[in-house]
Amino acid sequence: MSYTRVLYHMARADFLERVRRYSFLLTLAGTLYLAYAVATEKMWILVGNEYRGVYNSAWIGMLMTICCSTWLSLVGFYIVKNSIRRDSDTRVGQILAATPMPKAIYTLAKTLSNFAVLACMVLVLMLAALAMQFLRTEARPISLWQLWSPFVLVALPAMLLTASLVLLFETLPVLRSGVGNVLYFFLWIALLAMGGTGTWDDPSGLRLLYRSTRAALHVADSNNPSDFQFSLTIGGTHAARTFIWSGIDWTPPLLLNRLLWVTAAAGLAILASVFFTRFDPAKEWFRRRARSLATSPALAISEETTPTSSPVVAITSTHLTPMLRTSARQRFPQLVVSELRLMLKGQPWWWYVVACGLLIAELTAPLSAARQGVLLAAWIWPILLWSQMGCRETRHATTALLFSSERALTRQLPALWAAGVLVTALTGAGIGIRLLLIADWQSLAAWIAAVLFIPSLALALGIWSGSSIPFEALYTVWWYVGPGHQLSGLDFMGTTLASARPQSFAFATAILLALSYWRRRTHLGYA
Amino acid sequence: MKLVIDSVSKQYGRGPWALRDFTLEIDTGVLGLLGPNGAGKTTLMSILATITRSTQGRITWNGVDVAANPDALRTVLGYLPQDFGVYPNLNAVEFLEYLAAVKGLDAAASRRRIDELLNLVNLTDVRKRPLGGYSGGMKQRVGIAQALLNDPRLLIVDEPTAGLDPEERVRFRNLLSELSGERIVILSTHIVSDIEATATDIALISQGALVMHASPEDLLREVEGKVWEWVLPSTDLNAARQRYLIGNTTRRSDGTHARVLADTPPPGAQPVPPTLEDAYMFCLSRHRAGAAA
Repeated sequence: MSYTRVLYHMARADFLERVRRYSFLLTLAGTLYLAYAVATEKMWILVGNEYRGVYNSAWIGMLMTICCSTWLSLVGFYIVKNSIRRDSDTRVGQILAATPMPKAIYTLAKTLSNFAVLACMVLVLMLAALAMQFLRTEARPISLWQLWSPFVLVALPAMLLTASLVLLFETLPVLRSGVGNVLYFFLWIALLAMGGTGTWDDPSGLRLLYRSTRAALHVADSNNPSDFQFSLTIGGTHAARTFIWSGIDWTPPLLLNRLLWVTAAAGLAILASVFFTRFDPAKEWFRRRARSLATSPALAISEETTPTSSPVVAITSTHLTPMLRTSARQRFPQLVVSELRLMLKGQPWWWYVVACGLLIAELTAPLSAARQGVLLAAWIWPILLWSQMGCRETRHATTALLFSSERALTRQLPALWAAGVLVTALTGAGIGIRLLLIADWQSLAAWIAAVLFIPSLALALGIWSGSSIPFEALYTVWWYVGPGHQLSGLDFMGTTLASARPQSFAFATAILLALSYWRRRTHLGYA
Repeated sequence: MKLVIDSVSKQYGRGPWALRDFTLEIDTGVLGLLGPNGAGKTTLMSILATITRSTQGRITWNGVDVAANPDALRTVLGYLPQDFGVYPNLNAVEFLEYLAAVKGLDAAASRRRIDELLNLVNLTDVRKRPLGGYSGGMKQRVGIAQALLNDPRLLIVDEPTAGLDPEERVRFRNLLSELSGERIVILSTHIVSDIEATATDIALISQGALVMHASPEDLLREVEGKVWEWVLPSTDLNAARQRYLIGNTTRRSDGTHARVLADTPPPGAQPVPPTLEDAYMFCLSRHRAGAAA
């Protein structure tokens, strides 16, 4: 067996399956927007004391590369993190598992496929960089080496590392779930911080570019302050002055450094094969229900464990209780309770312990600390409950059962939303009660807006994407940037009076609910 | 109680027509929907179950237009799709309680009915185990139970016996037969023995069109005197297939016993009583020949 051939065909098939999906076009559209944002100076790099480089090939290449290696290493993770799960859902995995394919070949192939998808986005930005230099006439001539070498030597290794991290996350029991989606964000922050403070060059190449631009700026302006700044900026004031940066001198140690990240990526892909279960349902089952198995002798319930001695027709339908329809007044609360139970079912005991601990802290900590710290934790804790909203039916293939029920749109959808609101209100109840008791109506309005907004965002993203990943990714980033930094306009929790915007988030809630309703309506053929 | 399908057609996007000008009136009893893969059975079931709209045509339930008022049908509908999932963290009782709430059923009555249904589908002993650990056949039985939750007047079951063991299959067939007295049951399958055991009417469907709607007896009459058992050497079987429409074959010590469907018998063949499978093959073959002509 030629493993190279197996590797090639597995990666190719997976890649083709992805790029022929509508979502891939959306991804490319997003990448094009990123390129547009850079080309039109909505994003730029500011160095030193309000300097930017002259838009020559080196500077444009570096600018686009930074966008790639920072933003795409975050967004790209969530875009490609579903390759093993897709094989499991489509049951192609079971076919593959029955072949002589080694596990390492599988994980390497999936890494390559992930990488190929991310590389497509890099390619779009490479072409955009060329177009940008054609359109901006600030510096000539165009040097393809200077323009594209940062993409090849910085962005692509960063993408390969992202691709292999995805595989590792997908194969590790806890990280493959929504927990992994949340934790990756913090890993990404840590890797970026490595570029700012670490002694090693980071995978995104920030430190490498920082050193190079700093040296060039020092030559251009020796009076530049010693606390040299290097930042990717969105909005705000543009650079007042320019300097010429001719690109990185790619010495063997620098190349070796980039090669190290490529090697690390390959190592991670092979490490992932250690945890890859080869779609063994026993191991999958073990991971899902490890606790219940402690008391169960069998890994899964087989047909043989069910009674077979009963006569072929033991009872008949004439013995069934005639069904009554519940009164319209009772139906909705009953359904909300069912949705709430479905949402909470399967959470381990310690989830409730932590939620209760946070609730107690909300009630007992000093109010400002509780709002800026404890509430922040309390409203990231149920993220995996919210992220199932609107996409649970798709994920578990129960749409046909639900959508053939009476008033699935006008009853089940509001009940689901109400259950989400209840979870949000309960987990943040400590703060809500205290604000009510001290009659801080403005802060209470912000709290209510958050209680309504969070599940609405989850519902809308779940229904529109059919996946939990967009909410898990977006909410984590938003939570960190907005409420985490009390950023006015983005602080949906209203952690401080200055940053709270309850009216805006109430309005956003209405929009999100309308979008959810409209999308679900199109799902229901007869709605 | 009447379900009327009037000139219904369905096209997915700009692709080929999955269903074309399909007309059928269905009364109480079990209607067996028979047809080869890709005939349009599942499409028809999805339209009847209000999962998708027809592109053209009209469906009425007791005179009410289903497209205009889908809930009139949904309140009395039990639906078992061909492919469906379950929530793996819920057990069978919790899953059925959830669906009972979604269907707007009374909580106390549903609890009793869920117990009875789980007994009926032989899952009482594992009722508290998470569904994630159920085998395919057991999930199918949960699906059967949910379809019967609301005591449906219209029961639509798509490949219901897929994955069931022989004993469970017999249990389910008996249940369907018994249910049919007071409701409409539409059973889609390509397992002819399921139809043979339960159906009071058969609709034969091929290439999105209704080939025949008849009682099993009428369908059998179509092939009366046209089924022959022919004993021939195994080596001649392929050549015989070129000349005759051959159904089941059985190898025995004196050669291969082949059921031949033809107006005139092959040399030495003996007439045998027809089965529904013979009738199905004959009608389908005649329809294809007609379509090709």
